[in-house]
Amino acid sequence: QALPQRSGPSALLVSPRQKGNPILNGVKAVAWEYSDIPADYVLGATTCALFLSLKYHRLHPEYIYNRIRDLRGQYQLRVLLTLVDIDNHEESLRELSKTSLHNNVTVMLCWSAQEAGRYLELFKTFEHTAPTAIRAHQSTSYPDKLVEFITTPRSINKTDAVGLVSNFGSVRTAVNAGPDEVALIAGWGEKKVQRWCNTVREPFRVKK
Amino acid sequence: MSVADHAPKEFQQDIFKELREEDELVLLARGLGLLRIVTNLLHSYDAAGNNLILLLGADERENTWIGEALAEHAAISMSPKARGLSLVNTDVMSVATREKMYTQGGIFSITSRILIVDFLSNLLNPETVTGIVVLHAERVVATSLEAFILRIYRQKNKSGFLKAFSDSPEPFTSGFSPLSNMMKNLFLQKPSLYPRFHLAVAKSLEGRKKAEVIELEVPMTDAMKDIQLAVLECVEVSISELKKGNSGIEMEDWTLDSALHKNFDTIIRRQLDPVWHRTSFKTRQIVRDLTLLRNILGALLSYDAVNFNRYLDTVLAASQPPPGSNKQNQSPWLFLDSAHTIFETAKRRVYAGKLTNADLTANPNAVPDSMHPVLEEFPKWALLAEILQETEQDMYLNPITYDGSNGSILIMCGDQGTCRQLREYLQTMWVKVEANENEEQNADDSTPSASFMMRRRLRNYLAWKREFAKVSNALFSENEKAINGATDQRSGQSSSRGKAPPSKRRRMRGGGTTSGDRSATGALRTAGDRDAHLASLMAELQPTEIENLQKGEIAFDTLEDMEEYYELFDMNELVVVHPYEGDMDEHVLEEVKPRYVIMYEPDAAFIRRIEVYRSSHSDRNVKVYFMYYGGSVEEQRYLSAVRREKDAFTRLIRERGNMAITLTSAAIAPEESFLRTINTRIAGGGRLAATATPPRVVVDVREFRSSLPSLLHGQNIVLVPCMLTVGDYVLTPQICIERKSVRDLISSFTNGRLFNQVEAMTEHYKSPMLLIEFDANKSFTLEPFADFASAANQGANATPDLQSKLVMLTLAFPRLRIIWSSSPYQTAEIFAELKKVQDEPDPVKAVSLGLEDGEDAEARTFNQVPQDMLRVVPGVNEKNLVRLTLQVGSLFELANMEEEEIVGIVGKVAGRQIWRFFNRSVYDE
Repeated sequence: QALPQRSGPSALLVSPRQKGNPILNGVKAVAWEYSDIPADYVLGATTCALFLSLKYHRLHPEYIYNRIRDLRGQYQLRVLLTLVDIDNHEESLRELSKTSLHNNVTVMLCWSAQEAGRYLELFKTFEHTAPTAIRAHQSTSYPDKLVEFITTPRSINKTDAVGLVSNFGSVRTAVNAGPDEVALIAGWGEKKVQRWCNTVREPFRVKK
Repeated sequence: MSVADHAPKEFQQDIFKELREEDELVLLARGLGLLRIVTNLLHSYDAAGNNLILLLGADERENTWIGEALAEHAAISMSPKARGLSLVNTDVMSVATREKMYTQGGIFSITSRILIVDFLSNLLNPETVTGIVVLHAERVVATSLEAFILRIYRQKNKSGFLKAFSDSPEPFTSGFSPLSNMMKNLFLQKPSLYPRFHLAVAKSLEGRKKAEVIELEVPMTDAMKDIQLAVLECVEVSISELKKGNSGIEMEDWTLDSALHKNFDTIIRRQLDPVWHRTSFKTRQIVRDLTLLRNILGALLSYDAVNFNRYLDTVLAASQPPPGSNKQNQSPWLFLDSAHTIFETAKRRVYAGKLTNADLTANPNAVPDSMHPVLEEFPKWALLAEILQETEQDMYLNPITYDGSNGSILIMCGDQGTCRQLREYLQTMWVKVEANENEEQNADDSTPSASFMMRRRLRNYLAWKREFAKVSNALFSENEKAINGATDQRSGQSSSRGKAPPSKRRRMRGGGTTSGDRSATGALRTAGDRDAHLASLMAELQPTEIENLQKGEIAFDTLEDMEEYYELFDMNELVVVHPYEGDMDEHVLEEVKPRYVIMYEPDAAFIRRIEVYRSSHSDRNVKVYFMYYGGSVEEQRYLSAVRREKDAFTRLIRERGNMAITLTSAAIAPEESFLRTINTRIAGGGRLAATATPPRVVVDVREFRSSLPSLLHGQNIVLVPCMLTVGDYVLTPQICIERKSVRDLISSFTNGRLFNQVEAMTEHYKSPMLLIEFDANKSFTLEPFADFASAANQGANATPDLQSKLVMLTLAFPRLRIIWSSSPYQTAEIFAELKKVQDEPDPVKAVSLGLEDGEDAEARTFNQVPQDMLRVVPGVNEKNLVRLTLQVGSLFELANMEEEEIVGIVGKVAGRQIWRFFNRSVYDE
């Protein structure tokens, strides 16, 4: 069976089985409509989702396997949107981890109906978005970069960063500064000085 | 010469004898010579020769101490078999070298991460180990690497000895029956407690002549009191703000009292830790503020007035909200009147000056008559000078009868910074500033004063401040300019335009918390204070002739130079200034043999050290001066530290009394009972029958920092430590797993590392998996406390939250599976589940993946932190990052490269960006 033709357009498709599911109240940012689909939700041309509440799963453990089977290998990304609504979830989640591997589904956990709704929205919204936001550092202004660069080693904070550059004038001179010089800056205790000076001199590569 | 000579105190000898006879945990009060006992013990084994002893958990200083002490012992006792201490501490040492060293035997101080890998890869067979000595036993918690090491050791080696030491009893008292749990982790049965009030200890220290201690309570100046009070107020408000924002959390003990405690910010952080990934930006900011406020409290007592003010200037500039944000992002404490008090009072300690609008507008460059330096001095300084004079008289009146100690004076203080300050003070306190201008303190020629030093500091400060104003302008001025660009122009040009902003500034400084412009006050203050104001101060501070005669630089000696000083100076006239350094201080006492000790700051452990020293050398007279600021945080901390240690010991003694039964049952064979527990879990042992060889997992060596390998080992899984380029764990030929704790997840999303890791896994494995691992006692949810409504309202321009990033990741890699695990324990079980009826992974193949042809795996292992820093540099992306790390040695090297060289490696655009990042001057613009 071919992919549903109507899944191209903007709306999020919802199976009538999901009627009354409170997570639909959380879907506000994108339009949705009922449609006869094997999955619970169709989030894009190649993406679908099944909804599972762990409470239900414990009572009817076979349910989700039937639903996955009904998908018949369609869709590239098959999300198993799982609502964690019980306390002793360990065993169920362990089982689902294994299931996800064998049945080619991706488990996404959520802890409230609202969060679940938001996931649906997000999948639809980002359907055509390139993953630039997670691909590399998002470029920010020079001062931010500067502060972030200096505060990367543990325990060095923003105040220290400002103190450092204001004393040395540029990153290069700050990197070149010896421990004695850095220690003269207010706020730089011995540990921080050590950490800074060692980190910038530490070789990138662990040599043998 | 017998060993006993080196452990002169009776209780130290007791402990030593006990340790020679049986395995135990020794908990000693701080300052009672723990390292001395350890080295005696190690030497006794070292001298016997033909053994392999591992020392676990020693830090750098302790290694040096033990190494030196062992060499000394060996020289004195002339034991031919003694070899001293060998260090195995970095990855620098190659596998072959290590193997050779182990076969030769001796005493090794070894990093846990290396030892565990060597144990697992059988480079070092646990059965060949003669014994293990564990320092800092308080760190050996159930999931720690040390506990893992001891477990492997005890499983394979039942006859080797095992001794553990600790001198901080406090961690042993938190949680449910902590001592017996700790003993279980250590595979030890007998705890041996030696608090200061232990009978044997008290007897050895108090029996004979006690050290003469003179306690001096110094009052703080009014300004210091005001600042301390104001800071505490800010702390209080921050804490109540924190309570408001996190109503769901236990926080009865978030009180001002606990704020006096040395690390109240860490305590709060630890309490918030379970929910840290769910807390709001504001909460995190307040926690950061608390750390900052604690630093300010400490700085108030240790930095001189000028440096303190300078530190506050930095704090203010750094607290500027990011451009484009509103005042909601400003730290709440900055809005308080107390904050105003802090900054104003700190300034008034340095210079008094009324900067009226009239002055500024009428004549921006004139020197207002009302401004002059104040330069408040620490009351302790005067007292210090007084004590030194007194000792001089004392020595004159009671000339040294030969008593074994030198006539020298030892001054002990908190850290190197204070040391420098005191040295400078002592060297310059008799230098008089010429009687000019409105100096008042030079009336009496005979009083020492810090005015010379302080004037010099102020000059430096003013020079710095000019630059700093530019820096803070260049870095943090976006919003400031937006709010009132006029201020900047005024200072550069003439007076006509400046009228409105300064008056506005005045109003706000004194004023309420309502103004939206308030966020800019910090920068405004910096800007407003500049030029006119500074010029006048500079003019007044022109060095006088006498000052010019003095050498500019103060030479200060660190401990390393001490040997040279011995040759140069007569010990009888020496004044040594030294910071507290834990057990190292014993050396200082032994070597300086002071007749007078001045404790510039209180330290309970050091008092005991003096007691030990005093009673080990009955022929030496020591007079101790002990000073602290009355009613200060310093005093409170000292008292509470002493009290807490005592309470901890009392509780431990009680627990030990009740512990007997638990111990005998655990005593049968802790490792066997451990295995039994494990076996029952695995399908009634069915698995063991099914597979002849136990299941195997290839683990990246860097993963041994986490507790998961230890728990996997507990699941009867064989761990194969390897250097992996792709993934952290390889379970089967198909399954490769990247493990991320929630905190890692957030940071590796931000810098793009995760994307690349997943990309590499997808390329090489059929089933790439991302493991999101929550902490055992952290809340198992990603939901933030704030509701989604606000996040949704911000729309597309808000920074994407964790959920959105996860969605993007799954959309980009549909084949990626996500494992959600509520704790490392849970993860271990999931791994076992995933491995059922699957092929075993091939370590050789796993290692080779992701490497280019002919590349060695070890050539591609990188140090994480410098690499993370490099990722931040503009122009660096994942591709040229590898090229850079392979061709450039370190950040230091990169920073000093010419533009052309960098361009040669990464190309023109990126190269220029990188070069510019390092070389751009913040003083410009």
